[in-house]
Amino acid sequence: MNAGQKSARRIAASNGHLPRDTICTSCRHRLSHQPRRHAATAAAAAEEQLPPPPQQAMQHIPPVTAKAPAKAYRLLASPVLSRPPLLTRELTSFEKAYYLYQKRLNERLAQPFSRYFYYKKGTPGDVEWKRKAKARQTAARDIGVYNAYGREGWNDEVLYGDQTAEPENQVDALIRDAEGKNIVDDQPVGDADKDGEAVTGDATVGEGQRRELQKIEVERPMPRMTEADRANDVRSLSRKLDRSLYLLVKNKEGRWRFPEDRVYGRENLHQAAERILIQSCGINMNTWIVGNHPVGHHAYTYALPILSKLAANKLVPTSAAARRGEEGEEREEFGEKAFFMKARIMAGQADVSKNEYGHSEFQWLAKEEVKKAVTPGYWSSVRNMLAER
Amino acid sequence: MALQEVTTAFLKRFRACNGPLYQASKLQCRQYATAGDGQETNELQLSSSGQGMRELEESSFLGGDGTSDTAVQKFDPARTARTRNRRLPPSRYQYKSPRYYRGPLHPHQPPKPSDPSSREFAPGPFSLPRLEQTYHDTFAHDFMTMAYTHFPPGLEPHKKGDRLRPWLGESPYYKNRPLRGPRGGDTLKLLRKPITFRNVPKLERVTVHTMVKGAIDESAYLHVAGMAMQAITGVRAEAHKTRTSVAGFGIREGQYLSVTCDLQGEDMYHFISKVVDVVMPKIKDWRGVRGSSGDSSGHLHFGLTAEDVALFPEIEVNYDMYPPRMIPGCHVTIHTSAKDDRDARLLLTQVGVPFFGKLIN
Repeated sequence: MNAGQKSARRIAASNGHLPRDTICTSCRHRLSHQPRRHAATAAAAAEEQLPPPPQQAMQHIPPVTAKAPAKAYRLLASPVLSRPPLLTRELTSFEKAYYLYQKRLNERLAQPFSRYFYYKKGTPGDVEWKRKAKARQTAARDIGVYNAYGREGWNDEVLYGDQTAEPENQVDALIRDAEGKNIVDDQPVGDADKDGEAVTGDATVGEGQRRELQKIEVERPMPRMTEADRANDVRSLSRKLDRSLYLLVKNKEGRWRFPEDRVYGRENLHQAAERILIQSCGINMNTWIVGNHPVGHHAYTYALPILSKLAANKLVPTSAAARRGEEGEEREEFGEKAFFMKARIMAGQADVSKNEYGHSEFQWLAKEEVKKAVTPGYWSSVRNMLAER
Repeated sequence: MALQEVTTAFLKRFRACNGPLYQASKLQCRQYATAGDGQETNELQLSSSGQGMRELEESSFLGGDGTSDTAVQKFDPARTARTRNRRLPPSRYQYKSPRYYRGPLHPHQPPKPSDPSSREFAPGPFSLPRLEQTYHDTFAHDFMTMAYTHFPPGLEPHKKGDRLRPWLGESPYYKNRPLRGPRGGDTLKLLRKPITFRNVPKLERVTVHTMVKGAIDESAYLHVAGMAMQAITGVRAEAHKTRTSVAGFGIREGQYLSVTCDLQGEDMYHFISKVVDVVMPKIKDWRGVRGSSGDSSGHLHFGLTAEDVALFPEIEVNYDMYPPRMIPGCHVTIHTSAKDDRDARLLLTQVGVPFFGKLIN
C-alpha cells in the first residue's frame, strides 16, 4: 500500500470531522460513509472477525484544542473551457492522393451509371447529362477528366503535381457542374475540337445558352480561413476553426493560466467550475461542464507557507461564515493543488471586464500556443489533458 | 514449366525482404501526386536532416531524391504507351487473379483482397467523414470524462458475485458439473467494464431493414424498396426470403419480402450524419427516438416512416422517379460497441439523436 492510500485510509478511519476546504465534496462523502456491502461480499466479510473499530480507542483521547492555524494545501478548481473543432481537418497530401485514386478505381469497377432511371429519354435533364458526361467522360464529377472504360482506363494515377485531388478544385468542379457548365474549360473531347463557336449548330448549345441566361448562381462554401485567422485575433472564437481552442486568462501575477479559484464551503468541483467561469469571464457564455470529475491536476508547493484567511464567497451560501459575516478561519497553506474540470463553450464570448479575480486579459489558444503562453511546470501538468486537434 | 512456376512462386514468397527500415523509409518519403508546392519537399528535407532519418539505411529516397525535375516532367506513362510501337508481353502486363483458391500450397496464389488486381477488391474509403473526425476529436474524450467513476485511494470498486452459480447440495450428481446459469433466464447479459481510453464505445455498424408488405402481391414494391434503400444508404441492398409461411398474412415460405442494407465504416458515418442532420430535423411532429429502444447490449433501434424516407436528399432530388406510394418506411438499427443501452444512448445523444419518454436500461 502506498503512502497516499495510507493517509486516505487514516482520514477515513478517524471518522472524525473531515476538514471542509481541503478535500472535495464527493471524496469526503465517499470516505466518510462505509463502502457499500453487497450480498456476495457481505457473506465473505461475515466470516472474518472484524477488529474492534478504532473509534472506541480514539474516544479516550481528549479532544485537542486547536489554537494554531490549520495546515493544509490550497484547493483550487480550474475549468478548462474549450471550443471543439468546428471544421474537418485539412487532409494530408497522402490522403488526398489516396482518395482520388480510390475514386478512380471505383469508377473502373462500378456498374455504369443507369441514366434511364434518373433521366427520361429526350428530357432537358437527359440532354444536359449527355453533354456533361461527354466532356468529363465519366459519371463522377470530382475526379477530373478520366475515362474508366476506355483504352486508357489503366492510367488511373494522376501525375506528380496534378491538382485534381485538391479540395478547392473538387468543389470548383462540383459548382461548375451545378451551374450547368462542364467541369473543364474547352477540353478537346476525343478527336473533335469543340470550342465555344464550333458547336453552335449543336442542339445542346441552345440548352446551354438558356442556362447562361438564367445565370444559376450556386452558393460557394464558406472559406476555411476567417478574418480572425488572417488577423490572428487570439480573442476571437472564429479563429482556427479546425482546432480545439482553450480559454486562458492572465491573472494578477501576470501569468497565463486557466481560470481558477478556491473551492468554498460545501460546493463540489463541478459547481465550483461553473461559478468560476461566471465570476471570471462573465455570464455571456453558454457553457457545459463535462462530467463531475477533474481531468487533470496541478500541484505547486510554495517556498514558504502562506498564512491566509478563508473569506466567504457571495455565490456560495455554505462558504465559511458567509451568512454570519464574520472573519473566516486562518490557515497555513503549504502550496496549492488545482483540479482541472473539462468544460465546453457552445455560444457567447468571454468578458473579463467585470471579473472578481483581477484578470486583465483572456485568449483562446490552440494546444501548441498554450505551451508558449504558460510556464513549463504548468504545461507539464496540463499537456496531457489537452486534445491534439 | 510447372516446375519453373513453383520455383519463382516459392522464391517470391520466401525471399528475404530488404529490411523493415528500408521499407519504412520508402513509405515515409514517397512523393505523392498532389505535392505540387514546395511544402512536402521542405518536409522531406527537414525530416531527412532529422535524427530519425540518419539512422535509416542509405537510399536514393533520402536526401537529394536522385530524380531531376526534367525526369519528373517527362514522366507520362499514357503518352509513352501511346507512342510505343511494339506490343508488351501479355503474360506480364495482363495479370488475372485465379478464379478459385486452391489452398495455401498451390503455386498460384490469389492476391489479397486489398490489392486492386484481386477479384474481391472493393475500392474505398473515398473520404474522411466529418462524424468520424468529430468522434475521435470530441465525443470520445467527453464520453470518457462523463463515464469516469472516481474511487479515492483506499476504496475499490465493489466486487460482483460470480455470474454463474455453483451447484450446492449433497447430490453426487453435482460433482464436477458445469456451473448453473443465471437466475431467471439462460442468457448472460454483457459485462460492462469501466470505461477507459481502450473501450470508449463507438459506432460499429448500421443495419437498415425494410419489410415490404406490398411485395406479397406484386414484386415491383420490392424493387422500388431496394432502389430506395440503395439510394439512401449507398450500399447494395440484399433481399431476404421469408422463412415460414403465415396463412393469416398470405405469406408463403421462400417469398422475397424484405430488404436490408448493412453499413460499415465510411458509409455508416455518412448515413448517420445524413439522418441526424438532414432527415430528423425535417420530420413533422416527431418527438425523438423512444427511450425504451434497445436490446440491453448497446444496440439501439428506431423506425422511419415512408414520409420520413422521402426526406432523404437522395430521394428528394428525383422523388418523381419513384412510383407513387411505393417508397417504403424502414427500421434502422445502430450497433455500438457499448455493453449496455445507457452507454449507447449517451453516445447517440452526443451524435445528436434525441430521446424521449422513459429511459430503460
